[in-house]
Amino acid sequence: MLTGLDRAAVTESVKRVVIAESRLSLQPSDIADHEPLSGEMLRVNSLGFVGMLVLLEDELDIVLPDDLFVGRSFHTVQDLIEVVLAGAEVSR
Amino acid sequence: MSEHIDDILASARAAVAAAPPTGDPAYARYCHELAALLAEHWPTVLKANADDVAHAEQRGLPPVLLDRLRLTDAHLDQLRRLTATVHAELAEVTAPGPGVPIGDWGVRRRAPKPLGVVFMVFEARPTVTVEGALLPVAVGNAVLLRGGKEIARTNAALAAVAREALEAAGLPAHLVTVLDDPDRRQLRALLKRPDAVDVLVPRGSPSLIDYCRGASSIPVIASGGGVNHVYVHRSADLTLAAEAALDSKLPEPTACNTAELMLVDESVAAGFVAEVVAAAERDGRPVTVRLDARVPRPEGEGEGHCWRVEALQEHDFGREFLDATIGVYPVAGLDEAVAHIRRYGSAHTEGVIAADTAVAEEFTRRVDAAAIVVNGSLRLHDGPTLGLGSEISISTGRMHVRGPVTLGALITHSWVVEARGTLRSSVPAPRS
Repeated sequence: MLTGLDRAAVTESVKRVVIAESRLSLQPSDIADHEPLSGEMLRVNSLGFVGMLVLLEDELDIVLPDDLFVGRSFHTVQDLIEVVLAGAEVSR
Repeated sequence: MSEHIDDILASARAAVAAAPPTGDPAYARYCHELAALLAEHWPTVLKANADDVAHAEQRGLPPVLLDRLRLTDAHLDQLRRLTATVHAELAEVTAPGPGVPIGDWGVRRRAPKPLGVVFMVFEARPTVTVEGALLPVAVGNAVLLRGGKEIARTNAALAAVAREALEAAGLPAHLVTVLDDPDRRQLRALLKRPDAVDVLVPRGSPSLIDYCRGASSIPVIASGGGVNHVYVHRSADLTLAAEAALDSKLPEPTACNTAELMLVDESVAAGFVAEVVAAAERDGRPVTVRLDARVPRPEGEGEGHCWRVEALQEHDFGREFLDATIGVYPVAGLDEAVAHIRRYGSAHTEGVIAADTAVAEEFTRRVDAAAIVVNGSLRLHDGPTLGLGSEISISTGRMHVRGPVTLGALITHSWVVEARGTLRSSVPAPRS
């Protein structure tokens, strides 16, 4: 089980990465957990996942499964945080 | 894995060493063979591509992304034109420099040399695979191509074509290597090999480019994305400004040289927006204008128009909309426009529309970007359009190359010094 600190770290990293991927000049604290990944503010698509995965792995010092995003549906930042948390747990 | 990577890198390095010098006729033959073999094997390439697209569709990729993966006959025409253009540019780009006398003792000249081993990392655009197998290689480099796994089958088919073209041209087959291992550990391992890779060219998502820039000490030629602005001065012809805005965005909304935010002098902002929507309406060009609350909304807003207006938000500053959206933000004048660009711009392409030539000159003096367009469309910023030649990307870096990354940017040079027996001790010291 991941600790609360881990969840906070994952949340911060995921938000930093989706901000970069959406080419926004914002801070992680500016992004709500329920913000849509593809909406008025964020523009994240699956073709950018390689870059996002390697950034997340480096930031969090984890190895995520290659098929992390395959067959899953996620619409909000929160969905992505949960997927990464689950992937990080599996990899441990 | 490390042994495999060592083998890949050793083969690429050996291919550079075995290849004829930059400018050799074999490279022109390669362009010709590549075009011919692409045409010959295009049905096979399309079959592989159809498999990739079907697989991606099964995985639930949305139509707009499937379009990025899909190859058509139009792409073949485009790629054949590119090979012809590169072929035509080779002689001039790779010609040795003229001999320049040095005092009365010698002559110096530049001799073109390849950069060496080029590592291109990109995502799911199969045309990039061909561009990568063409431009760097045509001037004597070896290239390692790592594309997205979504186009793995297409890339394998294209790799076979490139290898066949190299062999037909009499060039080492390992000048082109398509990496087929999707494991990210391979990517990381290659990024840690500045001893074996001479230059890194990432093309793709911002995260990928950020990662390559941050994780590797290999010199990077990269576009930092296009957070581009156009400043409209009160002296501007607003009809031209509106046309420039629409042309800077609509034909290719996701390109890196499109306009995102129009910074418009307050006194003409409403008139500018009226011209934009009128031009969009006249030609039926769908556009969304994100408008600052201080600018009155245009008349006639509502159903039945190809344009619509939304509220500009602060988070829109410094962003690429990646669709047919243009922001409009009123500014007090040149100073505020320049300050905004310095804070939020990505130093890719900036523009000014002004009839007052002093304003345009001041803008070009104070704004720093890879290209600054005066009284025109930002999309003029590409190598062929500027007469600079074929390009593999547009660089926002400050070293080696800025702007279109043309064939000339994919070579370096040696200084050849014809010394005619001169010794350093016999040359007078330069005056300080």
